[in-house]
Formats: sequence, C-alpha cells, structure tokens
Amino acid sequence: MNPAERLIADAVTMLTEDLAGERSDQFGEPHVMLPASNIQEAVRRLRAAGFDLLADVMAIDWSDYPGHSGPRFTVVYNLYSIETVARLFLRVNVEDGQAVPSITPQWRAAGFMEREVYDLFGIEFEGHPDLRKLVTPEDLEGHPLRKDFPIGETPTLFNEGRFLDPASFRAGMLGTDAGRTGWVGGARKGVKSEQGREPAALESGEGGEA
Amino acid sequence: MAMKDLFEKDFMELERDGILFTTLSKLVAWGRSKSIYPVTFGLACCALEMMQSTNSRNDMARMGSEVFRASPRQADVMIVAGRLSKKMAPVMRRVYEQMPEPKWVISMGACASSGGMFNNYAIVQNVDSVVPVDVFVPGCPPRPEALVYAVLQLQKKVQGETFDKDGVQLPMVEGWTRS
Amino acid sequence: MSDLPPRATVLSEESRGDFSTKLMRINVGPVHPATHGVLRLVVDLDGETVMGVQPRIGYLHTGFEKTMENRTWQQVITYTNRMDYAHALGHDLAYVLAAEKLLDARVPERAQRIRVLLTELNRIASHLLGLGTSLLDMGALTPFFYTMRERDKILDILEMVSGVRMNYGYFRVGGLSRDVPEGFEAMVQAFINEFPERLEEYLAMFADNPIWVNRTKGVGVVSRETALEVGLTGPSARASGINYDVRKARPYSGYEDYDFEVPVAEEGDARQRFVVRAKEMEQSLRIAQQALVRLEPGPIRDPDRRISLPERHELETSMEAVIFHFKLVTEGFHPPKGEVYLPTESARGELGYYLVSDGGSMPYRVKVRTPSLVNVQAIEPASIGGTFADMVVNIATMDPVMGDVDK
Repeated sequence: MNPAERLIADAVTMLTEDLAGERSDQFGEPHVMLPASNIQEAVRRLRAAGFDLLADVMAIDWSDYPGHSGPRFTVVYNLYSIETVARLFLRVNVEDGQAVPSITPQWRAAGFMEREVYDLFGIEFEGHPDLRKLVTPEDLEGHPLRKDFPIGETPTLFNEGRFLDPASFRAGMLGTDAGRTGWVGGARKGVKSEQGREPAALESGEGGEA
Repeated sequence: MAMKDLFEKDFMELERDGILFTTLSKLVAWGRSKSIYPVTFGLACCALEMMQSTNSRNDMARMGSEVFRASPRQADVMIVAGRLSKKMAPVMRRVYEQMPEPKWVISMGACASSGGMFNNYAIVQNVDSVVPVDVFVPGCPPRPEALVYAVLQLQKKVQGETFDKDGVQLPMVEGWTRS
Repeated sequence: MSDLPPRATVLSEESRGDFSTKLMRINVGPVHPATHGVLRLVVDLDGETVMGVQPRIGYLHTGFEKTMENRTWQQVITYTNRMDYAHALGHDLAYVLAAEKLLDARVPERAQRIRVLLTELNRIASHLLGLGTSLLDMGALTPFFYTMRERDKILDILEMVSGVRMNYGYFRVGGLSRDVPEGFEAMVQAFINEFPERLEEYLAMFADNPIWVNRTKGVGVVSRETALEVGLTGPSARASGINYDVRKARPYSGYEDYDFEVPVAEEGDARQRFVVRAKEMEQSLRIAQQALVRLEPGPIRDPDRRISLPERHELETSMEAVIFHFKLVTEGFHPPKGEVYLPTESARGELGYYLVSDGGSMPYRVKVRTPSLVNVQAIEPASIGGTFADMVVNIATMDPVMGDVDK
C-alpha cells in the first residue's frame, strides 16, 4: 500500500468507526457519507491527519434526478493531501431548510466556497462569520442553481416576427418534443405543427431584450 | 499674398496656396472624431482583445485613441467589452453618466450587443437597454481589426456621415447626439 | 493570521498618544484600472496602511453552471473556455478529460499530444498576459507591448488550428474536432526557437530595475501556513513553498511522459510570484517542444461510434454511420450515471470539473472548481500591513481572472 492508500484507508476507518460514516465510492474516488452534525469534527481530524488542502465545497440538488429518493441536497467537501497525493470526498446529505455546521471558523478557505453554496442553493451554514450573497445581484431573490429556479431565457426575436423560444427549440433538438418556431401574433396562415396544435404565440410586450 | 486675394481668387487656387474652407461645426467634428479617448471598461474576454488592439500589431492609437483613460471624466467613448451582468449594470450606468458630453458607446462583442450565448437570468441581453449604443461590433470576441474598424465607423459617425434606416443622410449634430 | 511584516508603519499606542484616528473605509473598483477585471475591494485604511480587505465579487456572474445544465455534453465545450479566458484551453482540457473519464473513452496518442502542446502554449500566453498587466499596474508601460507581441504570435498559432484567436472550441470529448493543418509544426517550431531569447529580453527589462525590486521584494508575503489556510494553489502557492502541481501529482493526458520541472520558491513575496511564473514559462516551452517532437500521424478521435462522429466519407457507404451521426448531432451521447472529479493544473491553480451525470444527454450538474475564486481570498492576508500600492501589486501577482472567480 502506498502512502496515499494508507492515508485514505486510515481516514475512512476513522470516519466509519467514530463518526458514523458510510463509504460510497464514485468512479474509483473515495467518498464517505457523514451526518451533518459530525462534519466539523471530521474535517478537524482529517486536517490533523494530513489532508492539508481544502479544494472545494459544493452542493448538488437532486430534485430532478431520475429515481432519487431521500434528502434534496448533498454538500460535497473535497480534501486533498499534498504530501501523499491522496484525495478524499466527504458527503453530507441535507434536507431543504436544514442547516450544516460551517467549517469556516477552523479553515478560512471555506469562506467563499460556503458563501457561494449558500447563494446558489440556499443551504445555510451555521457559524459562518459572514454568510450573505456572493455572486448574484442584491436584488435577485431566490437561489439560482436550484432545479426549480428558471434559467430565465428570453425568446429570440427575429425581424420578420418569427421568434424562437429556446427551451422548446432545445426540446425539439433532443427529440423529447416536436419543437416549435413561434410567430408573433399567432400562427402563419396554413401552418400547423404535427400534433395539430398552433405554434406558441408571443404576447406583445414580451421578447427582445431583457 | 495680399488680403484682397482672398476675395478675388478662385477657392481651388487658394487651396493650392494652403487655405482651406470649412464650417465651424465640421471643424469641431473633425477634431472630436480624431481624438476619441476610450474609458477602461473591459469586462470579460473581449477586454483582452481590446488590449490586443492597442498593441504594436493593431495599433489603435494611430486612429486617435491614444490612451485609455481610467477616469470617465476624461473619456469620450465607452467600449463595453464583455458580458454585462445584471449586478454590474447600475455601475455601468453610473460610469456612463459621469462621462461629459459629447460621448458615445461602442458595444463590443456578441454578449454586449445581444446577450450572446448567455441567455439566462444573469446577463443583460442588450447593453442598449442601459446606455444608448452607437456602434455594435459582432464577434465572440471580435478581432482587434474589427474593433479598429468600429472605431473608424464611429469617427465617421461623429463627422456627420450617418444615415437613417431609409438611407437618408442625417444632419451632422442629430446624427450623434442622443440623450 | 500572520503578524505584521517589518514594513508596517502603523502608529503604536505610545506614539499615538491623544491623537485618535479612525480607519477609513474606501471602495476600490469594480471599474478600476488596476483591478484585473471587475473585482471590487472594500479596503480599510489607516493612513496609507491597509488594515483590512474584503473582496466583493459577482460583477461578472454569468450563470455558467446553470446554463451548462441545459446544453448537451458536447455543447458545454463552447462555455468552458469563456470562464478563464486567459487560459481557455485549460478549462477545455479539464472538462473533456472529466467527461472522458465518465465515458471511459480512449483518446489516441496524437490527440493527447496536440492537446498538451496547445495547452502549454496557451499557458505561456496566459503568463505573458499576467506579466505584462502586472508590470502595467506598477507603471511600467513598455514591457506590456513586448509581451503582447509574443502573445499575438501564440494566438496566431492557435488561430491557425482552431479558427479563432480566443475562446477556442477545438477540443471535443473523445479527441479533437479536426487535425492540425499543414505548416503547423513549422510555425510552432519557429516560435519555440525564438521564445527563449525573447523571455530573456523581457526579464532584462525589469529584473535588475531597482524600482521593480523595491516594489516587489518582501511585498505581500504569504507564508506557507497562510497559503494552506486560504486554500491557495497554482504559481502563487508554489512561490510560497507549497510544492503542488497537479501535472506532477496526478498526471493526466500523458504528462507523466514529459520531462519538466516545477519551480518552487520559499519567500512567498510578489517578486517570487513573478519569478515562478517566468520559470514556468520556460518549463512550458520545454513540454511544448517535447510534445511537438513526438507528434506522429494517427487518428485524432476515439473511434467509439457512440462518442465521436464518424468520418465524413463513411457516411456515403455505411448506414450505421449515418444513424450514429444523426443521433450524436441531434441528441448527443449518454454517459453512464455517476459523479466524477478530475483535477488539472491551469495557469492559475488547481482546476477541476465535478460532473454529475444522470444518464441523459445533458449534464445534471457541472461544478467548476476554479482556482481564482479561492486565490482571491489570499489577497487579504497578503496585503494587511502593507501600503495601498503594495495591495495593487498583490492583486496583480495573484493573477485572478474574474470570469474564473464569478463563473
């Protein structure tokens, strides 16, 4: 066993025995699932054991994942050991509205990362010294990277009145839908899509620039 | 030559002797168009091409844009180079309002002109909704030569060679003043 | 945090006496000639000494990750290079490698070597830009024009290959979009031959200049512990003594076969950050030369029909080729379910794409671990205790690219 594997094996043993961790590898990389309450202690011990670089803190929203049941979000911590070249991922499953203890007081690198997760997903980190929006404008309400936040596309308006609604155009390309080109004010005379429905009409005042 | 020659000789002869005739507004417009100083407003990738347009190969300084002024009070044109996010839009409006008249705006790149490839919640889909744009430059990013061409087009616009949608030439001052 | 370095000029309690002062909070940016892009800093000043720096970012937030969830796997490549527009191919490479790990694709040797060659040339271009603009921020206008000249030559090579000077869409998941044209190798070799003396020329312009030495030596010191505390990676971390380069630690795309060194320095000041970048340029040139020499004719895409488009001439004879072509162009490929993270070394630090796939033709979640977001946090400990002018040098040498920070 080389030093990286030994370090990871020791770390996983420590996490599964003491801190209720569960191993769940992804594509050969070691992931360990932990309950939210143990994350601070886990990070403290791993840092002492030799994982000296916190590479990333990110979140995943599972709302649209086919066949997923369980908590809505997973927060993934990406730890790396420079000496032994070992990388370990910690996963914390959180419900919507549940807060996660923050590791920023013990590791400043997490400051911007946790703020970004809060801004884009709405997951609160307790104990973060300065938890507020990071990248989105002050007046934007909501959390953009959640699956129920619309992407906010505006239709593409052509000179002669034709417009494209990007979402249905894309759906047509992927084969999930017939896809449609709409005309301002209603359908062109004599044109109907295969399903016999009128193409979407653009209400006046919509479309063009934001 | 004597003063009375000015009134007696033909104007083409006088031009050969070194006297030019023009109107005051044309003279002022010529002066303004040949020394358009941009304000540093590089936002994203187009800013790098804007910097490349000032380098030795595509020297924009020879078109009159000698320096990029950091202070908007000393600038004539704002080249919006890059994608304008909605968080940045009020800042851009403030910088635009701090520029003294007469001022112009070049919208550089696809993202500034129409939102480009970013059709989402974060990017303003046309900079024209925040500041009045005079020249749009397509490209992602536009080549430095394209930006130099845009500056030349703006110079023509400032000199009064602008046309409306029907191809009719506009009077000089109307062509380039907008509020 | 670290103690104040000896350059601090804060009035002590005794000498202050009854003279009470307050900290002045000023706003720097987002439109500022010396912040690299739209970076806004709220700076607390005691006279000229910086006592606190808070970066306020988000002025270039483009919603990349959300947009990428609505594009097919191959279409995402148009977005990846717009994040770090200085080292665009670094992002492209990181993404295609991560997607290839998901698909278990086999990329042919020629494609890997061309990828490495172009990425290293782009790294040189990015460091030249960083060098030129850092010197511009310090008031040295001339080196900027010299470095832009070399950058133009690299951009010419990349334009010859991909058709655009910046924001290339040249890599594909499975290989390259098309082969390099005639005359490519000659052009690259000509560049590699003349670059070392150009680099000497640039270094000669400022390396012994007492103004430059005074402005960068001992300025913005980031100790090794501080760098690990804020998660700094890349040339700035290597200047502080952290010997971490993903190309050596977890080699990807054939980097284990190339012979190059990783420059590491101990002092952690702005001068070493400059020097480390200059030495990295030399090493990148070495890698580029080795990759160029080893180029052999061969395929440039994974022959697996489910990932790569078939050759055009096959469409005339084979029905399955037509079907694969149709499916790939309209729908794209479907990687298996799972999550993958692949770290690479960009010009700014560790760059990794965390891809979550749900088996569909569009990625479920794309998280980009960008180095500049974390490196911006290092501006504060580097600048506290120094003067305002030193903070400008620190921002310049940390070399953040705002597209990378805000995504």
